[in-house]
Amino acid sequence: MSGTYDVVIIGGGMSGLMAAIPLAEKGRSVAVISKGDPVCCLSTGCVDLCSKGDDPIGGIESFPDHHPYRLVGVEKVKESFDIFQKIMIETGLPYIGDCHANRKILTPFGTSKTTCLVPKTMKSASCDPDEYIHVISFNGLKDFYPSYITSGHVNSGCSIFDAGVSSTSAIAERFEEEDFLQEFVSWLANLALPEGKIAFPAVLGIRSAMAIFNAITEYLGRDIFEIPTIPPSIPGERLFSSLKNLFLEKGGSLYWGKEIASVEKLNGRIEAVTLSNRGRSTRVQGTLFILATGSFVSGGLYASMDDVRETVFNLETYLPGERENWFNEDFFIPGHTIEKAGIRVDSTLRPLDSEFSNLFVCGSILAFTEVMKYGCGHGTAIATGVAAANICEELL
Amino acid sequence: MMKTDVIIIGGGSTGCGIARDLAIRGISHCLIEKGDFASGATGACHGLLHSGGRYAVNDPEAAAECISENMILRKIGQKCVERTDGLFVRLPGDSKNFRDKFLKSCEAIGIETDILSPSRAIDLVPTLNPSIEEAIKVPDCSIDPFRLCMLNITTSKNRGGRILIHHRVTEIVREHGECVGVKVREELTGREMEIQGKLVINATGAWGDRTASMAGGSVPMTLSKGSLVVTNHRLTNMVINRLRPSSDGDIIVPNEAVCLAGTTSMSVDDPDTIDVESHEVDLVATEAEQMIPSFASTRIIRTYAGVRPLLKADTSDGRAISRGFKIIDHGNGMFSIMGGKLTTYRLMAEKMCDKVVEVFGLKKRCRTAEIPLEGQEQLSGYPLSKRLKELKDIVCECELVTRDAVERAVNDVGARHIGDIQHRTRLGMGPCQGGFCTYRALGIMQESGRMTPEESKRILKTFLQRRFKGIRPALWGDQLREEQLVESIYLGILGMEGRE
Repeated sequence: MSGTYDVVIIGGGMSGLMAAIPLAEKGRSVAVISKGDPVCCLSTGCVDLCSKGDDPIGGIESFPDHHPYRLVGVEKVKESFDIFQKIMIETGLPYIGDCHANRKILTPFGTSKTTCLVPKTMKSASCDPDEYIHVISFNGLKDFYPSYITSGHVNSGCSIFDAGVSSTSAIAERFEEEDFLQEFVSWLANLALPEGKIAFPAVLGIRSAMAIFNAITEYLGRDIFEIPTIPPSIPGERLFSSLKNLFLEKGGSLYWGKEIASVEKLNGRIEAVTLSNRGRSTRVQGTLFILATGSFVSGGLYASMDDVRETVFNLETYLPGERENWFNEDFFIPGHTIEKAGIRVDSTLRPLDSEFSNLFVCGSILAFTEVMKYGCGHGTAIATGVAAANICEELL
Repeated sequence: MMKTDVIIIGGGSTGCGIARDLAIRGISHCLIEKGDFASGATGACHGLLHSGGRYAVNDPEAAAECISENMILRKIGQKCVERTDGLFVRLPGDSKNFRDKFLKSCEAIGIETDILSPSRAIDLVPTLNPSIEEAIKVPDCSIDPFRLCMLNITTSKNRGGRILIHHRVTEIVREHGECVGVKVREELTGREMEIQGKLVINATGAWGDRTASMAGGSVPMTLSKGSLVVTNHRLTNMVINRLRPSSDGDIIVPNEAVCLAGTTSMSVDDPDTIDVESHEVDLVATEAEQMIPSFASTRIIRTYAGVRPLLKADTSDGRAISRGFKIIDHGNGMFSIMGGKLTTYRLMAEKMCDKVVEVFGLKKRCRTAEIPLEGQEQLSGYPLSKRLKELKDIVCECELVTRDAVERAVNDVGARHIGDIQHRTRLGMGPCQGGFCTYRALGIMQESGRMTPEESKRILKTFLQRRFKGIRPALWGDQLREEQLVESIYLGILGMEGRE
C-alpha cells in the first residue's frame, strides 16, 4: 500500500487526530501514520486547558511568550476548544464544560483533580464534601480501592459487584453484553441506596459507553458518574477511538502499527516517508507534513544520557541544561525542567533552524509545553493540532 | 519487663545469623532492629555470594572464608542462593601479570577455577564483549539477602527468639558500668519498653560506633559508600567480574528478573545521609559496558547505595581495607562485631556465639553449617515455571506477585510498611519499581484492616518520594519515559500533587 496525500501526519494521538479531522472534513486527502495506540489511552480522558487556578483561559494569559498556547494565540485556543466539543458531539461521546471555568472531579484516591472538559460520564463528578456518594466497585478489581474515597467522605457508602473478571478492560468489555448490563442494573436497583449520587470506576463499557451510562441513569433516576482509574484507562481509550473512527468516517487514511524507516528529501522539502514493513515497503508521499509524535512517553523525543533527540526527522531540539538538573528533587511538585525539552517553532508551527519548508509541528513534542507544570494535557494537543490544520489548509 | 540472655542490636545478616545460631544452641535472645530486616548494608549490596575470587590476590584470608562459606550456604540455603557461577573476564589491556597471580592465589586458597577461551565464555554468556582475551570461571553465586535474613529469623522465632523490628534502642542500661539491658521505642507508636539481658551484642554495621558509644565504648571504623544500579532485565545468567585489581563498577550480578551492577567506593561520615550521584551512575554504566556492551542501551531502573562498615585501617582507600571481621569485647557485657561480608555472615555469627557460650560457661557447639535454613519448604524457589502455576490475580506484573502472596504477607507478618511486603514478596523490585503495584499493595493492606486508608496514603507518599530519589540519578532513555508515566499517574490521575 502506497499513497499520495495533501497532508501526511506522523503520530495518531490527540494532536495528530485533532489536526487530521478538520483537514479531512474540508475534503483534503489526509494520512495518519502511527506506531500504535497513543498516550491518550493512558490518560483520564479529561481535557486540561490550564489546571492552575479557576479560570483556565484567563490563566494562559500569564504564560511565557514561547508557550505553544501563546504562539497559537488565546482566541485561537478558545476556538479550538469549541471545535473539539463539536467534534465530540459528532462522535457520540459529548464533552461537558467550557474554557472559562475549571471543574473538579473525584479521583480513585479520594482527592480531587482540576480539569476543564470532561466526558459526559463525569459530568456529576464534582462532589460537595457533605453530599451522599455511594461508590460501586467490582470484586478483585486491583486498580480501585473505594475506601480511599469513602474514608475521606463523611457521607458515603460502598457496594461491591462480582463481574467474574477483575481488570478494568475486562469489566468494561462485559458491560457491552446486554444480559450483563441487565443483571447489573437490577442488582443496583435492589440495593435500595439512600438518596444521592452513585460513583463507579470508569468501566461502564467501551464502545457503547454513552448508551450504557444513559441506561443506568434512567433506570435509577439519579445522578451517576465515573471515576477515571490508573492505566489502562477506559475513558482515554474511548476518547482516542472516537476520534480515530471519526477520522476514518471522513475519508482519512490510517497507517497503523507502522514506524518510519526513511525520509526522502527534495529541494528543502520532505517528499515522502517510507514505512518499515516486513517484506514490501510502503511509501507515503505528501505535500505537507505534520509531526505530532508527542514527547518522551510516546517516543517523539528520546533522552540519551546527555542529550535529547527528535526520533523521526532528527530535528534540532531544545535541551534544558545538564542531566543533573532535568528533575527536581521533590516528586510531588510538578514542573521538572526536562518538560521544557522539545522542538522550538515559529508562530506558523514551523521548526526553527529546520531544513524542511513543508513541515509543521504540534502537540506535546513542542518545546516549553510543560504539561505537568501548567496542567495543560490534551489542551495543548487540541490547540496546536487545530492550529496546524488551519495553517496547512491556508497553504493548500 | 522482658528478660532474656542475649540482646542483639541490628537486623542485618549478622544480627539475624546470630539470632539463628543462638536459637539452635538453645540460648534465649531478643533481636532489635530500628527499621526492617536487611535495611542497612545487607540489603544494599550486590547480592553476590562470593567465591572469594575477588579477594584472592589481596586478601587471601577473607577469600578463604568466602569459599568455605559459599559451599556451606549453597547447601543450607537452596531457596535463597542461585547457583549461577561467575566469570572473571580479562579485556584487552588488562594485566596478564594479575591474571597469573589470580590463578595462583585461587589455587592456594582452594577456589576452583576453569580457564575458558573467548568463544567458550561467550557460549555461556552471549552478551559478553566479543573482544575479551579470556574468562576464568569461579563458583560465584547470586543470593537474596532479604530472603536470607527472613529465613534466619524463622529459626529464631520457631525456637522462642523475640524479634522486634521497627524498634529503636534509645539507651543501653548499665549498672556499675555493666550492661544489663536496653530501652527501646517502637517507631510507629512511640511506645517505650525496657528489656533486661545478660549480654548485649552490637551488630549494627555502619551504625556500630554510634551504638557502642551508648555504652561508653567505641568501634574504630571506616565507612565506605558503594553505589549500585539495577537494570530492567537479566543481561547475564552468570556473575561477571573484571579480572583486575578491585576497582569501580567491575561486578555485574544477575538477581531474579534484574541485574545489579556496581560498585563505587567513597568514604563517608554519616551512614544516614548518603545519596547516589549522577557521576557514579555514569561510571558504573561505563565500566559495566566494557564487559557487556549492551549495558549501554539497557534501561537502568533504579540506583541505590549502601555503606560498608570496614575495619579501621591506616589506608584511606576503602578497597585496600581487609574484608575480614573482628569481635570487640568492650569489657562491660557488650560485644561489637564489625567488618566482614554478607558471604561470611554465618561464620561471623558462629564466632560471636562461640564467645557467648564461653562467657556463659556453656558447652554448646555451633550447628548452623549442618542444618538447612528452616522455612524454605514454603518458598517457591527460583524456577519461573513453578511460580507460573499458582498465578492468579497478579498485583505486581514485573515480579509476578499475586494478591494472595500480598495478603499472606499482610496476615502472617502483620506487615505495616510497604518494605515488609517488598522484602517478603519482591513486589516492586522489577522494572516499574513499584510504580503501579505499590498503590495496589497499599490498597490491599488497608482493605485488610491492618491500617487506615489515611495511613496507607501517607506510606504511599513516603514510598514514592524515596523511590524517586533512587531513580533520579539514572533518568534517561526508557526509564525517563516510565518515570513521566508514573508522574502522570500519581500527580495527574490520582491527584497527589503538592506538599503535605
